[in-house]
Amino acid sequence: MGMPGRTDDHQWSQQHLSHYVEGDLRRRARRRLERHARDCADCGRGIRAMRALVYTIQGLDGLAGEHAPATIFDLVHRAGAGESSSPQNA
Amino acid sequence: MPPLRGQRAPEPTTGPAATEAALLARAQAGDVDAFEQLSSAYADRLFMLLLRLLGDRGEAQDVAQEVMLRAWQGITRFQGRSSYFTWLYRIAVNEASRALEKRGRRPAGVPIGAQELQLPASSADDPSRQAENSELRLALGRALAQLPPELRTAIVLRDVEGLATQEAAEIAGVSQAAFKSRLHQARLRVRSAIGDDALVTAGG
Repeated sequence: MGMPGRTDDHQWSQQHLSHYVEGDLRRRARRRLERHARDCADCGRGIRAMRALVYTIQGLDGLAGEHAPATIFDLVHRAGAGESSSPQNA
Repeated sequence: MPPLRGQRAPEPTTGPAATEAALLARAQAGDVDAFEQLSSAYADRLFMLLLRLLGDRGEAQDVAQEVMLRAWQGITRFQGRSSYFTWLYRIAVNEASRALEKRGRRPAGVPIGAQELQLPASSADDPSRQAENSELRLALGRALAQLPPELRTAIVLRDVEGLATQEAAEIAGVSQAAFKSRLHQARLRVRSAIGDDALVTAGG
């Protein structure tokens, strides 16, 4: 079985950009992707795009400071008031 | 000897873990107030998770109540093999999935991609990038909203919540390998939806 061709490397690399960014590739696979990305503008840009994506998602903090509604334990207390609703009997 | 119903558990030693263990013992003995105290520590975070998964405030409020009820009803089955937080989060993910399936639709709103969200300071501080970032946030929100629930859950737990893979997988109820597969699929789909040019520009 011969070495994978450039097209194989390209498709494989595109599918594994997230694995690469996450550090989930073994050494040999990592080298395969890096070797391909050196000569492939699409994959080089894909690595930068995937890193930017993860960075951007990690930076989303618009919900920081949100508080749970005051009613969050209402059903629990309603159940707790019933005879057959203790956790042992649930 | 475990505390009897209505009795207070022995005073904890010191520290949050000891306090949590004491509250847990009391809750498992049927003390509703102890359960509330125990779970209150995670209520805000749990609600934010539901907002992110469901994309609808009203629905998240309803599901949050269901999550607490289920946790209360199942508290005696909690054996401490995971942390209480992990156990509670897993109930939340299950209930969110159930809610989405029941309604047979995608998440309605997109809290994690909404306009009010802030990008990391390095990007947000540059005025010339604010318009681009605003567009990126909207695109990101739309892309995340289009993900199937299991993929959305993976990206929310790992990338937004910042949980370790092991804990996130446990919460999602799948193996680490399966979780990573979902995470990578989710990222590929979002990347494809947004486009490399927009992402690379935003990333500088």
